[in-house]
Amino acid sequence: MRFLIDLAVAFAVAVIVGVGSAWFAVDRGTIFGAVSAGGWTAWPQEGSADADPYTLAMLARTGEVPLGAGEGLSFTATRDVDGNPLSGRCDYDVAGNTPAARLWTLTAYDDDGALMANVAGRPGFHSREIVRDANGDFRIRLSAVVQPGNWLPIGAVDRFRLELRLYDTPLTTGSQLTELTMPAIRKVACS
Amino acid sequence: MIRTILFALGGLIVAGMIHLTIVFLIPSLAGKDAWAQMARFGPDRQFHTIAQSQAGAEAVPDLDPRMMQAVCRFSLADGPVRITADLPDEFWSVAVFDRRGRNVYSLNDRAAERAHLDLVILTPVQMAQTRQNPPASLESAITLEQALDVGFVLIRAFVPDDSMLPAVTRSLAGANCAAAL
Repeated sequence: MRFLIDLAVAFAVAVIVGVGSAWFAVDRGTIFGAVSAGGWTAWPQEGSADADPYTLAMLARTGEVPLGAGEGLSFTATRDVDGNPLSGRCDYDVAGNTPAARLWTLTAYDDDGALMANVAGRPGFHSREIVRDANGDFRIRLSAVVQPGNWLPIGAVDRFRLELRLYDTPLTTGSQLTELTMPAIRKVACS
Repeated sequence: MIRTILFALGGLIVAGMIHLTIVFLIPSLAGKDAWAQMARFGPDRQFHTIAQSQAGAEAVPDLDPRMMQAVCRFSLADGPVRITADLPDEFWSVAVFDRRGRNVYSLNDRAAERAHLDLVILTPVQMAQTRQNPPASLESAITLEQALDVGFVLIRAFVPDDSMLPAVTRSLAGANCAAAL
């Protein structure tokens, strides 16, 4: 009897820890190979020919086709500068500048990674259509209701995330993945 | 008590093995991986335009809605694959993925230094054969030597605004995934 209980303990530990840790490691937001800067995170490994087994498992599950190193690098943010999750019931300012890139796009996704229906039918911003100030910095207002200036409409969802895709950026070829200039996401007001 | 702890430690070792097994098995068991999804757009060895992502209508998850894409699944079993396309004078990029969705090669318009894409994908054996008698038409092509059996190519073309949409659509529709060597 004692032996059976011990065996059951060993079995439970093996299954729970084994399956649980594998699920955790492969889930979106894998901790391996992540590069973080100013609240934004990128996984340069995704677009590399020597992607690790965790990245490959994650890609196989989601069916995503990541940007290759020669194409660009994608950063994602789920929280504002204060560390609070991004909520569709609040307005945010995304202000500052991006690392060097020939082109970038900023897109909002809901918690499941799907594009959100919004009042303007506009799926995102790109760097050519943005109005900048004299220093070359920009400020994009995220809001579910119409805003003047650079306005990125979002849906009134509980949680959303932003994706900043930098196309043709020197970041993917060099080691300058430290001290990046990333736009800051600040909460303005909540309804 | 000590015996139970020893059993639990043994369980941890098995847990490590289970962990590794799952992680390494997922790519071959996943039914919805990128390669499988790309079959929905049509037959292999042809480019198929993927409609721009819109809310509620995303053919492939996590594609940039400001880009228009074309995809082609290919096999190197029947010989090298040559891809040609006349693309707009705007940002575009091309990426080659293997069966497991691993990005083996990528390139953008500036690195290609032209608006015309001419990419030849071949295995090391096919490369050696081609070198013995190189066709003159291959001189201007970018050659990618990869030990692939199957894979897919994805072209992304930037659509600055809707007025550019017809031109981008036309150039992607003209992309050729089975050009003669």
